Amino acid sequence: MGKDDENAEANRVAAQGRSSAGTKNEADHPFRGERERPVTIRAEGITKIYGEFAALQDVSFEVHKGTVVAFLGPNGAGKSTTMRILTGYLAPTSGRAAVLGFDPTDARQRIELARRLGYLPESGPLYRDMTPLESLTFFAELRKLDAARRHIDRVVEQCALQEVLYKPIEKLSKGYRQRVGMAQALLHDPEVLILDEPTSGLDPLQIREVRKLIRELGREKTILLSTHILQEVEAIADEVVFIYDGRIVFSGTKTELAKDASIEERFYELTDAKEVA
Amino acid sequence: MAIDFNVVRAIFRKDMRQYLGNPTGYVFLTLFIATTAAAAFLQDGFFSRHLADLAELNRLMPAILMFFVPAITMSAWADERRWSTDELMLTSPVRDVEVVLGKFLGVVGMFTVSLAFSVAHVLVLYSLGRPDAGLMVATYIGYWLMGTMFCAIGLVASMFTTNATVAFILGALGCAGVVFAGSEPWASGLLGTAVLGLVAALGWYVARGTTKSMGVAGLVGAGLGMLLWLGPNAANDDATSTVATNRFVALFDHFSVTEHVASFGEGVIRLGDVAYFATGVVLMLYLASFLLGRRHW
Repeated sequence: MGKDDENAEANRVAAQGRSSAGTKNEADHPFRGERERPVTIRAEGITKIYGEFAALQDVSFEVHKGTVVAFLGPNGAGKSTTMRILTGYLAPTSGRAAVLGFDPTDARQRIELARRLGYLPESGPLYRDMTPLESLTFFAELRKLDAARRHIDRVVEQCALQEVLYKPIEKLSKGYRQRVGMAQALLHDPEVLILDEPTSGLDPLQIREVRKLIRELGREKTILLSTHILQEVEAIADEVVFIYDGRIVFSGTKTELAKDASIEERFYELTDAKEVA
Repeated sequence: MAIDFNVVRAIFRKDMRQYLGNPTGYVFLTLFIATTAAAAFLQDGFFSRHLADLAELNRLMPAILMFFVPAITMSAWADERRWSTDELMLTSPVRDVEVVLGKFLGVVGMFTVSLAFSVAHVLVLYSLGRPDAGLMVATYIGYWLMGTMFCAIGLVASMFTTNATVAFILGALGCAGVVFAGSEPWASGLLGTAVLGLVAALGWYVARGTTKSMGVAGLVGAGLGMLLWLGPNAANDDATSTVATNRFVALFDHFSVTEHVASFGEGVIRLGDVAYFATGVVLMLYLASFLLGRRHW
């Protein structure tokens, strides 16, 4: 391990150890009594500008260890862009991100982060001409996983892929494809999951299955999942980060969001408020 | 940080499996063998010379490969981006350079398999006469080096777009540029314009440290190239000259693939020629890495 790696590790530990200041209303927090929960994902003033268009403006929020956070917002609000920046696929124009204390814009730290992070990109991209088994084997090779077969068996069971393991992905139903994407994200048993609209395009039965899986995973992992579906927030999230038009308009617990009104009413209120402004 | 060849091999194997696990791959293979066979043997020159060699194929190989290789490379990166699978790969613990190398070796692998099948033509020669074994080996090394450089050019072309057809056209144009540079004035002009545009854009990026207005700088460079190419030219005013020429012809005289592959066809392997192809590959792979980093801009 080089000196740079040691520094990166030291930064990571320091960042993780930082207290979760800024969490409002501790009484409302789903993890009462755990005030010092370390921050797993931190976005600090992230701005992303494409040419003249500002996709994200000064986006700041925190996700604490062991929580399931819904990244809520209408389509085009900047959810995917934020997630791509957190995973290191894109770099922000300004601002800083840290996931597990790693800086995703730093080439070395991004690789260390990728070993501990599971990511399901928007609309679940897959190698359509491969079978789920081939696809998972490829990602196990890419990640240089020891005992790859054991990891593959685990995610195949977790995502119930046994029946379609040898069928080309392009012939699978949308629900199965999404599960292959989830299996790929879970393959290396990551500490943190970033899931971009994991239930989009699924039928009610499939949605129920995916939500159940996320709830189970949420018991031991930190999960940030984006959605524009309000029921999703009710069903699986502990906390909510609301993004609209590239800005964070609310960040807090589910109870805080729906204190005086239903989540739906608050959704319209937060989006309309910005439109008038 | 060293390059991890396990990662490179994983990407290489995936791509080879995709090329060969797909009927299109075999259509390409068959077409390549048929075209090269026609170029080698269905020529008056081949039978009239009474020599068991591949001289006819040598003449046409650059033109065949400049279409065939981009057909392999067109989907290499364009399809990854089209289906967003690049996002999966680039958020895995892999470095950009490992992705570029894996992708490059994948297309080189498919090209090598195709070329290996075309060795059947040499067997035909052995059935007709007694070809010189050394000459055949040198000829094939020349083909391989030329195709490998085209693979690198095609890979770069595939990184410019998410559309495989556009990638094919860009790749074929790029290969045509290096095939005809020096011999055809239009190719030299095109190549000169492209090189000046690229140099201006990269120069701007290096000098200013920002990608802002980089495209404008590139266009200015390309515009200057067009002016030098198509603008008034003293050489054309010479009444004795009947051949249209331009300032780039002399410049690219020694950059033409045809010139560097010729000696292989005569059984001579020159270090300078090998270095030419190797430099071309390295430059193109560097450009490919640079383009891959473009997503951060």
